[in-house]
Amino acid sequence: MSRPARLLAVRLMSAASRLLPARLSDWSRAMANELAAIADDRSALLFALGCLRAALSMAIAERFRSALYQLPTRSLAAMNSLSTRPRLLGLLCGVLAVGVGLAYLEAAGAPSRHLLVNFAALVLGATAWLALGRTAGSRLAGAGVAILALSVPLLLTARFGLAADGASRWVAIGPLTVQVSLILLPAMIILYARRPDPIGTAGIAAAAFALAIQPDRAMAGALAAALVAVALESRGRLPLLASAASVLAFAWTLVAPDTLAATAYVDSVLYTAFAVHPLAGAAVVAGAAALIVPAVIGLGRGMNDRPALLAFGACWSAVLAAAALGNYPTPLVGYGGSAVLGYLFSVALLPAAAREADARAPAAPVAAVRDPDPAPPELRAARPA
Amino acid sequence: MPRKRALSGHARALLAALASAGPRWSYGYELSSLTAIRSGTLYPLLIRLEAQGYLEAEWQPPAGAGRPPRHAYRLTAAGRLLARAEAAGPDRQVAASGRRAGEAAS
Repeated sequence: MSRPARLLAVRLMSAASRLLPARLSDWSRAMANELAAIADDRSALLFALGCLRAALSMAIAERFRSALYQLPTRSLAAMNSLSTRPRLLGLLCGVLAVGVGLAYLEAAGAPSRHLLVNFAALVLGATAWLALGRTAGSRLAGAGVAILALSVPLLLTARFGLAADGASRWVAIGPLTVQVSLILLPAMIILYARRPDPIGTAGIAAAAFALAIQPDRAMAGALAAALVAVALESRGRLPLLASAASVLAFAWTLVAPDTLAATAYVDSVLYTAFAVHPLAGAAVVAGAAALIVPAVIGLGRGMNDRPALLAFGACWSAVLAAAALGNYPTPLVGYGGSAVLGYLFSVALLPAAAREADARAPAAPVAAVRDPDPAPPELRAARPA
Repeated sequence: MPRKRALSGHARALLAALASAGPRWSYGYELSSLTAIRSGTLYPLLIRLEAQGYLEAEWQPPAGAGRPPRHAYRLTAAGRLLARAEAAGPDRQVAASGRRAGEAAS
């Protein structure tokens, strides 16, 4: 008689019992008790092995059925959670748009260097997204100063940047030519929408002036659209002043002639993609539309932080409109790392988790809910007591 | 509409063994030895037949001291009908039983 075989059979049967779903507990006991009726140890071992195999396959089938059953619920929960996190949703939309753009560039026969630049910008932008997320507590504290500081490169570009056909919007960094306004302006807009202060207003006015003299009609339009949205939403004196400056700048760019010719794979991509293949065209349009999804969903769900979401949506809608109407870069789906960086920088500054305006909350006395500090909660946490 | 999927060979063999036992209760290892169906196939079949109402199961008291109670099985009236129809041939079985015979196939 082989004791180890019997012991092993008992162990295997015990494992089988643990594997079987609880609703089959009677059956796991039935299998285990049957072992005692088998005199031969080798037969008992084979019997236990078979039971273990049966238990394993039934456990897998049960898990699979359960996962399938829960799939719609889990997917809905994930989508629901994502829709309240504009920062994360924006990153995903950016990755999607760049992915679509890379596929289009490849299909259209663009130089591989173009694909490499867009991909590198995506990696750089995603890294910045991560880095900015880790400094969430303090990133708005110096928003005004940051806006003012970021307006300096825009002014310097207007004065010393690379010029083409009377427009001075670019800076050469090694072998790359970057459009400074496309990188910096969206981030400045979100910072201002979240915390409009006098220093930031001065920075926005300086940026508007820089765009007017570059001139950059598309980005001046984006600035004006975003700031008008912010001013209408907040009704504050400073946003009104900033929006007035940006509208003036945009008007100036409309008067100035803009004769820049279209660049292949950069401008008019929303149309030329259809020449590659109707599906490529549809994918490019869908990828471009994805850029404003974080704002549309956030606003549609009645989130707080409306000024930031409105500014984000208005800014990128204006950039897309400019790309559709004139020879301006088609963001993310066309060639150009500046737009990729600009989009991801602006996304990184969106609220991490937009709080849903809760109409069901019980009404509290006005004195108790009135908040003397208009700064966002993360800023308050960063301030000294 | 009844499903026309045929029972597997193992399911037919098991039904035949249970039918030949009649009203007598059978045990898992006994059925496995009689039909040469390994335990890994036998128990899922028994579980399915019971869930579909073709098989009844009960716990029987220990046969002796130190022995555990045993789970015993026999066909229900529906199970006997199915077994008879199966023995007569798969085509007649579908028409005769009008039950979800195919679901018992492994």
